[in-house]
Amino acid sequence: MMDGLIVKEGVVAKRILIVDDAATVRMYHRGILESAGYAVEEAINGIEALEKSLEAPFDLYVVDVNMPKLNGYGFLSELRRQEIPQQPAIMVSTEAAPGDETAAYRAGANGYLVKPVQPAQLLTYTRLMLGEAIR
Amino acid sequence: MGLVKAKAVATAESAEPIQQQSCQELAAALEDADATVRRHAAQQITSCLDAATMLMSRLKREENTAVREAILNSLLRLHDPSIGSGLADCLRSEDAALRNDVIEAFKQLGGEVKPILRSLLADPDPDVRIFVVNILNSERHPDVEQWLIKVIERDAHVNVCATAVDLLCEVGTEAAINPLLDLKARFVTDAYIQFASDLALKRIRES
Repeated sequence: MMDGLIVKEGVVAKRILIVDDAATVRMYHRGILESAGYAVEEAINGIEALEKSLEAPFDLYVVDVNMPKLNGYGFLSELRRQEIPQQPAIMVSTEAAPGDETAAYRAGANGYLVKPVQPAQLLTYTRLMLGEAIR
Repeated sequence: MGLVKAKAVATAESAEPIQQQSCQELAAALEDADATVRRHAAQQITSCLDAATMLMSRLKREENTAVREAILNSLLRLHDPSIGSGLADCLRSEDAALRNDVIEAFKQLGGEVKPILRSLLADPDPDVRIFVVNILNSERHPDVEQWLIKVIERDAHVNVCATAVDLLCEVGTEAAINPLLDLKARFVTDAYIQFASDLALKRIRES
């Protein structure tokens, strides 16, 4: 660890927070992102995600919409109000209606993916959001 | 003081005028522009005769989180049979925060809403079916596994099946093995279904 960042073989891995109340979804997204070399942490709802983000902001957020306590829209709205470095967020939802996508962007999302998310799709969005080369 | 149901079993006319006025005032306060007034009314109105109808009507339009929470808490205290169907309507709302709150309320309602949940599993809107499967997450009734198995056997929507598989990872038994294998064959190109089904199968076989 160095200043809260994970170091692997001399390269600082980008930190990504997965926010989803479904354990299986978190495991699935974690597997995809870790296999690409990212350092992944998890939160089970918006409240926990906000707490973790305030401790040490992440480079990217992958956020579900429907969660108990504080949903994805609520989390992103709160995150965007905080005086911390504002990093990109991908909202992931089962809902494909145009209104849902608009609501995500209004809440502060930078990208919107409809489940089921394919591994290549998640990695492409992740690299795009992090300003990395698309492979 | 509100109109107490137990004292007004016969007709509304038998109630004292001052009590009727009190409920009328609360009904008006529930529509007040001030959120604090609405929240207070939502907490107090439960003893009025048509509290469930008034609260449900307000819930569908209420945008203030604290007032919405007060309305849902009051609705849950009423144990009125009409609440389940009213809440089901809210699952179709465009307001994601309202849907989220209603899902959590459904989880607290318990067995009396089971018939409603069962009928909603056949709702034409896949999002409603997904919400219902999420609500089942809180049910620990033996029927839940059978309901989930029927979902993964019959539902054509991949996300409804995916949500059901998430839950089968926790509650699935040997009865779910063949339906999970069939699901994998049905959505053979979907990486998430493959991943979640394999995880559920692993957990069932290890348990």
